[in-house]
Amino acid sequence: MELREFRDSLASGFNDHYSPQPSLRHRGGPDLQENENTVQFDWSSHPEESDDGDSHQPQNLRELPLHMTLKRAIWQVQQMKVPVVTRWGSWRIHQSKAFRRFREDAKDVLAKLALWRKTIHKIGGHFGGGVQSYFLFLRFLVILNLLSFLLMASFVIIPSIVFNTVSFSGSSSIDSLPSVNMTGKEECLRYDPNPEALTVFYTYFLDLLSGTGFMEYSYMFYGFYNNTLVISSGFSYNIPLAYLLTAAFYFLFCLACIIVRMGSVTRIMVATGGGAVGGYSMLIFTGWDYGLQGERATQLKQNNLLYQLQVDLEEERIKQKAASLTLTQTVGLYSFRIFLHLVVLAMIVGAFFGIAAATQFSQSQQQGGIVGLLLEYLPSIVMTTSNFVVPFMCDQVARFEKYSPSVTIILALLRAVILRLVSLAVLLYSLWKQITCDGDVNTGKCTPCSYNSEQYQCWETRVGQEMYKLTLFDFLITIAMLVLVEFPRRFVVDNCSCKLVQWVGRQEFLVPSNILALVYGQTVVWAGALFCPLLPIINTIKFIIIFYCKKGTLFQNCRPALRTFRSTSSNFFFFLVLLIGLMLASVVLIYSVAIIHPSYDCGPFRFSETMWLVVPNTFHSLSNTTQEFLFYAGSQAFSIPLFIFSCVFLCYIAALATVYGKTVALLKNQHKMEGRDKQFLVKQIKEIAALSKEEQEPQQPPRSQAQWNGAPHWGGQHNPAFDPDTGMMTQPRAFFPDEFENPGLHYREE
Amino acid sequence: MQIRLYRNCQVEQEGEVWFALVKFVSARNKDESNQRLCRTNRTNNTMGATASKLPKDQLSEYQELTFLTKQEILLAHKRFNELLEREDRQQIGGSRVPMNKILTLPELKSNPFRRRICQVFSTSDLRDGSLSFEDFLDLLSAFSDSATLEIKSHYAFRIFDFDDDGTLDTGDLEKLVNCLTGEMDNTRLTSEEMKQLINNILEESDIDKDGTVNLSEFQHVISRSPDFVSSFKIVL
Repeated sequence: MELREFRDSLASGFNDHYSPQPSLRHRGGPDLQENENTVQFDWSSHPEESDDGDSHQPQNLRELPLHMTLKRAIWQVQQMKVPVVTRWGSWRIHQSKAFRRFREDAKDVLAKLALWRKTIHKIGGHFGGGVQSYFLFLRFLVILNLLSFLLMASFVIIPSIVFNTVSFSGSSSIDSLPSVNMTGKEECLRYDPNPEALTVFYTYFLDLLSGTGFMEYSYMFYGFYNNTLVISSGFSYNIPLAYLLTAAFYFLFCLACIIVRMGSVTRIMVATGGGAVGGYSMLIFTGWDYGLQGERATQLKQNNLLYQLQVDLEEERIKQKAASLTLTQTVGLYSFRIFLHLVVLAMIVGAFFGIAAATQFSQSQQQGGIVGLLLEYLPSIVMTTSNFVVPFMCDQVARFEKYSPSVTIILALLRAVILRLVSLAVLLYSLWKQITCDGDVNTGKCTPCSYNSEQYQCWETRVGQEMYKLTLFDFLITIAMLVLVEFPRRFVVDNCSCKLVQWVGRQEFLVPSNILALVYGQTVVWAGALFCPLLPIINTIKFIIIFYCKKGTLFQNCRPALRTFRSTSSNFFFFLVLLIGLMLASVVLIYSVAIIHPSYDCGPFRFSETMWLVVPNTFHSLSNTTQEFLFYAGSQAFSIPLFIFSCVFLCYIAALATVYGKTVALLKNQHKMEGRDKQFLVKQIKEIAALSKEEQEPQQPPRSQAQWNGAPHWGGQHNPAFDPDTGMMTQPRAFFPDEFENPGLHYREE
Repeated sequence: MQIRLYRNCQVEQEGEVWFALVKFVSARNKDESNQRLCRTNRTNNTMGATASKLPKDQLSEYQELTFLTKQEILLAHKRFNELLEREDRQQIGGSRVPMNKILTLPELKSNPFRRRICQVFSTSDLRDGSLSFEDFLDLLSAFSDSATLEIKSHYAFRIFDFDDDGTLDTGDLEKLVNCLTGEMDNTRLTSEEMKQLINNILEESDIDKDGTVNLSEFQHVISRSPDFVSSFKIVL
């Protein structure tokens, strides 16, 4: 290709404001272009100089908003750069390139292995980011539960199975734990879960649903595990210790996973300032969801945007026209709001009392058959009913409160969260009250065994059964809602064309309430995991089935949401709620482990005062040096400096965060100022250039190429190569001999 | 072509040399691909039609230059192939798909910005919005999962700049709002509402008060929105 043709072709394509050409500052020309849209590229970064050079440069290339042809040319030109390096340097570059390629391939493979990747992709494409975040949250919980089950299984369940079926030589099933004085405790040893020999068939089904009967004395519940301590040749395994430590580690593992997940979400939130409302420009510039497909979804979204804009503009007009509220009106509004808050509070507290009463009643009844089953499920029924009714009533009340839409959403979510989690807490509290006779273990029914042995021969199993029933009932209600409400609703809406039905419309997939249901289910599992080790795997299966059911109902029955769901800030909120659920469950765990006396006749802790005592007892069997080390680690000489150090570290991180925030604010201000400066300077330059153009117009010869007349340079600095005196670089002249005949001419205007 | 550049070059000179090199290389690439096209045309006319597959080195090149993974590039290749006329399917590198065919893709069919998207990513000299395969990959890369906020906001700005003048002025904003609310007469805002809205937008985002929103002001607004990256997404 001829150089001349190439030169001619360079002149074309200057109309485009976004190609790299505008980055050439035309020095001294009257047609000065504003360079805000220039594409900056740093040529001076040599590959051998940068430390993580190879990961830096391809990233650099991809981030250029240029056409593929230009990017490819830049890439090829970069590769032409033969850096002057030593053999060691080139080997290092080669290695880092290979490593980077390996890392990308590994990332590819890992991404392919991610569970349900294609499905979630498709959901995001059709329904937007908000609904997709629900399914991502569900996937996170499924994997968390699966890993927890593997933890439990490998350390508790499988050893128990092995030790129960295989007899070791030299094993002893009586532990070396100091046994509690057993005299006078005969009433506490009356646990007999074994079912009768012949049972009617349907009782199996009832037992499955309520966790009694054949399910009670099985690996399912705490009561089945023995306090085995196996010591055989060089191998010892302490089941009670394993049980306790696995439960503790399970909680810590879940905590770590949640915090890691929250971290990434928090980073985005901090960077964007918590998603503060930017008003109209935010809505217009970021309001459209490009993943929407289909005419119907698009039209709905457009209608929604139109409606939102009209409402907002109308409100603003009214606000501008109307006078501010008088004092009496403000007082009236606030007192009305307080009254409504009290109404909502009364409803929620009423729900709590209902749950407590139902729990008490259900625990005191011991009937069989269907009636008995219903009584067993009474707490779950009351809780689910209140979880449906109370938020609905709160929504109706919220209409009168006249808060702004974002505040209304937050309040509704807060109320729903309080309702769900605190009702679970109330249920656990009433259980606790019954088990420990209102906390006073030395009165009434609790005297001989320090717990209510009349009602609860094996209280841990009973608690486990309650949690199991809650999980199962939650699952059944979800399926029932799908089958009995959502599918029929769609059939009715599609086939019946009366106005009321069309106004109600198809189901909308409400992300917040669905996610809260997941959080509630997970909290129940956490609370019950100590007493029912198989609960995580049951929960995993439940969540997997729910995934497929929700996916089905989403595609068949739901229409896209009208309101753009702010997924990122709400994501943070949902993980926060999950964390609160974990805290609640850990309170249960700590209380059961440390305070309540374990049952005398069942479980791996049957011979100790509290579950926790297993740890100090085995502690004494460790070697002396380990004991001394652990004593030292727990003593004041070690823990106080550690505590002080962590405080200092925390303060440092907090200070760093504050400094970054201030820097961001400063830079934003600077950005504003620079914009104004630039505006001013551009005006000045235009005036001066116009003046000088008038002066010099008669003197200048016509230019051959009007647009390639400036010395191109990248950094906006003076380029000495084109000074008429210095003739250093000959290469540019080799390319463009014609333009640089009279380089000095172009600098006269300065 | 190998050029040894010594370290003691000044940065400014280096920049201008590299830029010139870039333009030269890109023009040479165009030349080479044209020649390759003629050659494959001739061989295909003699050999008969075969399904065109993406060669491995090109695949890895596309992986380097875009944010797309290998699977996404192959899927894009397949979908682009389906849009081409039967006789063009061998020279996927050189052929362009006219805009009306691109707009039949379900992902773009009902997008109110579909025409602007095609025009922004098109490198056609006729400015008719036709896309070559590489333009198509550029499009998917900008709209992909792993594209950065900067790239997405840059291209969003270009899509909203209806008159291609480098800033969003009142006319651009008006057309933008009409796209968002719908093209029908009964789905538009009234002119007073439109004026009020545009005033509000300029008040909020025009920092240097020149009556238009330029790229950095636009990016400033976008950076405060946490959901922009997840909503500015088109996946095949």
